[in-house]
Amino acid sequence: MAKVLGFLVLALSVLNCEAAIFKPISDSHRSAALELFTPAHGSLSSLEETYEALRTFEVLGIKKQPDQRAATCVTVGDTLSSPTSALKDLFQALRVNGLLNCELNKKTLADIAPRLKDVVKSASSLLDYYYSVGSLVLIKGLNSDVDVHLESADSVVRSIKALSQSDGRWRYSSNNPESSTYAAGIALESLAGVISLASSEIDQSLISMVKSDISKLLDGLEKYDDGAYYFDEKLADAHGHQGPLSASSAVVRGITAFAAVSAENLNLPGDKILGLARFLLGAGVPGNAKDLYYQIEALASLENNRVSIPLILSLPTSVLSLTRKDQLKVNVNTVLGATAPSLTVKLKQIFSSGSKDASVIDQDLKFDHKNGVHYLDALPKDIDVGNYIFSFEIVLHDSEHKMIYATGGRTKVPIYVTGVIIVDNAEISVLDSDLGNIETRKKLDLAGKNSISLSANHLQKLRLSFQLTSPLGNALKPHQAFLKLSHESKVEHIFVVGNSGKQFEIILDFLGLVEKFFYLSGRYDIQLTVGDAVMENSFLQPLGSVELDLPEAPEKAARPPPQAVDPSSRFGPKAEIAHIFRSPEKRPPSNLSYAFLALVLLPFVGFLVGLLRLRVNLKNFPTASAPAAFAILFHLAIVAVLSLYSLFWLKLNLFTTLKALGFLGIFLLFVGHRTLSHLASTSAKLKSA
Amino acid sequence: MSRALAILSLLLLAVLGNAFSPENPTDRKILVLLDDLSIKSSHSLYFQSLQTRGFDLDFKLADDPKIALQRYGQYLYDALILFSPSIDSLGGSLNAASILDFVDSGHDLILAADASASDLIREIATECGVDFDEDQSAMVIDHTSFAVSDTEGDHTLIAGDDFIQSDVILGKEKIKAPVLFKGIGHSVNPANSLVLKVLSASPSAYSANPKSKLSTPPTLTGSAISLVSVVQARNNARVLISGSLSMFSNRFFRSGVQKAGSTINHEKSGNEQFVTEISKWVFHERGHLKAVNVRHHKVGEADEPSIYRINDDLEYSLEIYEWSGTSWEPYVADDVQVQFYMMSPYVLKTMSTDQKGVYYTSFKVPDVYGVFQFKVEYEKLGVTSLSLAKQIPVRPFRHNEYERFITAAFPYYGASFSMMGGFFLFSLVYLYHK
Repeated sequence: MAKVLGFLVLALSVLNCEAAIFKPISDSHRSAALELFTPAHGSLSSLEETYEALRTFEVLGIKKQPDQRAATCVTVGDTLSSPTSALKDLFQALRVNGLLNCELNKKTLADIAPRLKDVVKSASSLLDYYYSVGSLVLIKGLNSDVDVHLESADSVVRSIKALSQSDGRWRYSSNNPESSTYAAGIALESLAGVISLASSEIDQSLISMVKSDISKLLDGLEKYDDGAYYFDEKLADAHGHQGPLSASSAVVRGITAFAAVSAENLNLPGDKILGLARFLLGAGVPGNAKDLYYQIEALASLENNRVSIPLILSLPTSVLSLTRKDQLKVNVNTVLGATAPSLTVKLKQIFSSGSKDASVIDQDLKFDHKNGVHYLDALPKDIDVGNYIFSFEIVLHDSEHKMIYATGGRTKVPIYVTGVIIVDNAEISVLDSDLGNIETRKKLDLAGKNSISLSANHLQKLRLSFQLTSPLGNALKPHQAFLKLSHESKVEHIFVVGNSGKQFEIILDFLGLVEKFFYLSGRYDIQLTVGDAVMENSFLQPLGSVELDLPEAPEKAARPPPQAVDPSSRFGPKAEIAHIFRSPEKRPPSNLSYAFLALVLLPFVGFLVGLLRLRVNLKNFPTASAPAAFAILFHLAIVAVLSLYSLFWLKLNLFTTLKALGFLGIFLLFVGHRTLSHLASTSAKLKSA
Repeated sequence: MSRALAILSLLLLAVLGNAFSPENPTDRKILVLLDDLSIKSSHSLYFQSLQTRGFDLDFKLADDPKIALQRYGQYLYDALILFSPSIDSLGGSLNAASILDFVDSGHDLILAADASASDLIREIATECGVDFDEDQSAMVIDHTSFAVSDTEGDHTLIAGDDFIQSDVILGKEKIKAPVLFKGIGHSVNPANSLVLKVLSASPSAYSANPKSKLSTPPTLTGSAISLVSVVQARNNARVLISGSLSMFSNRFFRSGVQKAGSTINHEKSGNEQFVTEISKWVFHERGHLKAVNVRHHKVGEADEPSIYRINDDLEYSLEIYEWSGTSWEPYVADDVQVQFYMMSPYVLKTMSTDQKGVYYTSFKVPDVYGVFQFKVEYEKLGVTSLSLAKQIPVRPFRHNEYERFITAAFPYYGASFSMMGGFFLFSLVYLYHK
């Protein structure tokens, strides 16, 4: 269920209760309408949308695009001539035709009229009545040849009336118990159509019943604080797109249509009509086509209605500068922005914000014929800067107009009067704590640049004072009067500067503040901010700095809170890391190794030389063929084992080496055993011999 | 090895299980919760811009009893827009915890508060690391950089132009006009590195009730006030928190803006551009990275080894792509770094790029053996963080891989071989001498 309260707050962002400005339809609506009703794919999807677009353009005075007229007229003609067209489509086609004036075949219209009349007679639901009656009214407006008059108008009115509820709302059909305000608007429009189609006078009692229904309906109006009235739609989303705006719009259209055809005066309260107009205007520029159509269509019917035409009082600007001597200007228009009849705007009262009492002024505003603006030459003398609520009243010159136009009594408008505030006598000083002696005093120019540098310790005080005077010489207490001390480490401290009259003064006793300052000594930048909504020269001034010498922090003192870091500094590439490899072990120079190699080989050479010197011989080598073969194999095997060791050094690994050594060893054992046993037997023979 | 696989598959799951589906990212369902259906109309330009970008918006009233974020454990939406600042309790089974669960599971959130922000909205924001001013009636006021307006004289309509410097978040195009803001301010925790202030207030701003006089200094002042903040969670879920709902409204979109004290009158405020660009970021149309084809091998080889030896020279490469809203484009940066990591990085190197998304580098395996990881932890302002880790063991030399012919050892070898030669000769002489 729609929470309607949020609607205006969001749509208007109006925060001031009871006083608000509603502006009539303006160019922003026109540009929005062009934007919203510009078809996405060349043409609008349905006749209903086409009608809404054309109607909105017509009311807003936007020239229609001629290129679409021909294509749309073809669709209209097709819809009307097809016997299977739904009632709703017929109605929409006729409505579009009403705006475009397509050249229609007279016969088609003559064919449709009886069909529509049948529907009117046999209809059971409200929408059937609405479409059929609406279509007949449209045909009547087009072509007087076709007979569209209803003979049994009374009974049709009765059967429509049968759907009404005690609270003035209507049901869509007799078997649907839920009632809606939107339906009430449709019903009133249909009734108005029936009355205009009736061939004979409608029973007066029926009309007065409808009148009482209307007044009951208006009793159900809900009100905002700012004087806007609206209908809350209780039946949510019955037709997909309903809310307070569509409901209020439908009722406004219904009532104005009914008022246009009924002969007698409906006696509707003007303030409620004005309130409805305000609600419709308060919706601002709706963001979708449907809402915009509802708004514009309802406002258009309010613009020329027989009940009462609302007049909207608006201000081009509600921020007035005393220094620039701005004039108070007021526009009075109808809802669509047309000029109002001759009238006088009176400024009746001025309420000052903060105080309840009002000053009664009762002053007429002058009228500038050229621009159509009511203006006040100069603001009343005693109006100083500040927030006010001005109360206006519209007085119509012609007494007959009082019956036609709804002005809504007094209109309250919030006004901000701003001005340049005089800032002077600014000075900053450092005081000794106990005696209050002034140690240093510096004058400040708060309009220009300042860069004082002071120094103080925790036993001293800092005093800042200045004066603010409003244009009329009164004291002004600005909303924002802050003194900010910010340490080098970005820790900030803010103090509100208090005042007595015009004089503003703040004394910072550092002894009491050391804990708050987290015992941080060092340079503090001083910044003064003075600002107010009515102060045109609000400023943020760096004054300079003070060098504070505070005592050392005790152990348990609070640490300063972490300060915000620049997000871009948090990211970014890290410093590269390269691995430092272990340095290789130190080795002797290769020449030294070769020298030692030579040294190591020397004994072997010595051994060889020794052998030669001993004249070794191999005479004992076996001579018999078999032992000689075994001896050769034995030594070859030894050579093989030794070469295996060399190979092990050169490339083989331990496993292949051991494997090969195993086989070689067995072989060596065998041939070794044969050779050695042969040698042993030879020597034994020798000995025995 | 299995751990490396598990980590990889987790990473993969994190990418695939994310709301952001690389296959069909344009078809994303967004749930829009409103206080009031009129917001749909008053903020229609914003919603339209989302719809034209292919998002499927589902509008619901925030207190609709039928709303649900998940069904049978599956999330029905990829993102949530909370435009219901005044809602006290959400409809259905929704509450602050379920919205936070939604974000925790990698989904995105846009939250707009207002002067009437309820405790629920504040709670959600606080959980995201953003603290709205506790004073319920406080608004951001700025007497020196407000937007000049004919109707609003209380200086709560702020023209903000202190944007975060990030192309990723706000788009390459500079935001031309100041952004209109009317609402409440918040502060972000300086210790929280996931929250970023996107739009900060000017130094003269403060957050207070405009209708009452101040006696104590306001809690939020100056540029510490954040007007709009974004959060990028560790799971790459993105959250936008704004203190103003009207910032998204048609009225502010269309309205002109003139900052106080400036003579430039912008015909159109920067709201539309700002809000559209930032929503592109929030809905992962920008700044979403993926890393593919992570490869490493020894120099001169093509296959990925299962183990490296100390002192091997290796090459490491990966490809990084950024989602551009329609396709994956090569990501170009010069600060992607790889770490060779065991307890702490042994090697940290910035990778070279070919400007087509491929990043590569080569380095020597350290002379320390153990189980290492190739780690790419890429974090940059605004882009999703990449966190890749691939485990790889490093072994020492085998017994036969040491140096064989050391000159310094030649005397020893010489001794052995001369001994062997001697032994052979001696055996001959001893056996056969006569």
